[in-house]
Amino acid sequence: MSIRVGSAGPRGLALLAAVGVAALILGVQGWSARHVGLMTSATGGFSTPARSSPAASTPRQAASPGATSPGSAASGQGSSPAPSGAGPLLSSEPYASFAYQVWPGPTGAAAQQAMTGLAISVKRQGSGISVTAGVSGQPAPAVHSYPDGARVYVLEAALGDDSGGSDFNLGDDGLVVTNAQGRIAQ
Amino acid sequence: MSQRPRTPRQGTAVQLPTLRRAAERASAIAAEWTPTVSRVLLGLVLAWFGYHELVRPGEWTGYVPVFSPGSSLAIVLVLAHGWILLVLAAALAAGIAPRTAAAIAAVMLLEIVISLSATAGLSDLTLRDVGVLGLAVGLTGCTRHRLVLRG
Repeated sequence: MSIRVGSAGPRGLALLAAVGVAALILGVQGWSARHVGLMTSATGGFSTPARSSPAASTPRQAASPGATSPGSAASGQGSSPAPSGAGPLLSSEPYASFAYQVWPGPTGAAAQQAMTGLAISVKRQGSGISVTAGVSGQPAPAVHSYPDGARVYVLEAALGDDSGGSDFNLGDDGLVVTNAQGRIAQ
Repeated sequence: MSQRPRTPRQGTAVQLPTLRRAAERASAIAAEWTPTVSRVLLGLVLAWFGYHELVRPGEWTGYVPVFSPGSSLAIVLVLAHGWILLVLAAALAAGIAPRTAAAIAAVMLLEIVISLSATAGLSDLTLRDVGVLGLAVGLTGCTRHRLVLRG
């Protein structure tokens, strides 16, 4: 018994070869930008590659200096002196639509889902708050302090990659802190 | 001789065969084109994921089992996966050996479903992929395709 599942003629093979070459070119481009993630370049995200990423100097990240990320990401940003004062309004940033408020509470269901795979802790500390944020299961990152009235948001571009207690794509996650006026904290 | 006007009952009796014929015709068209539409839509899904895996592999390494998301090997695996998906998408969309392409897609989707189930259990994400897997399996069994590139 023979099962015929189809055949590709010369034209079909030529088309597949062309697509294969095009995909190869895309792959080479992807390899050169392998450390760049959507949110990692925009805000400083949680994924490990972003922490040593050359994207740290991309215009998009420079445009949102107030966004913070835990651990070495923060130290990476610290290598260039941050300007004093408040940054742009979070609402004016392109990622505002997928920023979910974590502090002050209560934390909504979407925010809870956005925090999947992340370890975010916000505590009152004197007249302000202290924030730690990192990836679940990884060493605790440095603590950042902000004045009273600060708001903490978790960024998650696609909630669809958070499932069953795991975040399969940390490249589109981030954390941002604003002052009471909604401007991104420096 | 003047014709008597039809009663409503006679009108229904006349319309029923017409409706039945129309339904049969629609059914025949659907049966003829469903594999093609399914094939193109599955190709679209594979093309979307393949393209994004190729241009932004760093965003997909979290799905690679066993390997660390930050490792170069994970990036290479994502790129290879994206390349295969894109070629499969082209094969499905153009109808080049569609059953073979669907069978390979089914195997890849099965691997994804197993991997997701192992790491996150039966979640909404996993079940969504089970649906796409079903589409690929169904296409593997389809023998009649329209808009197929031959020669």
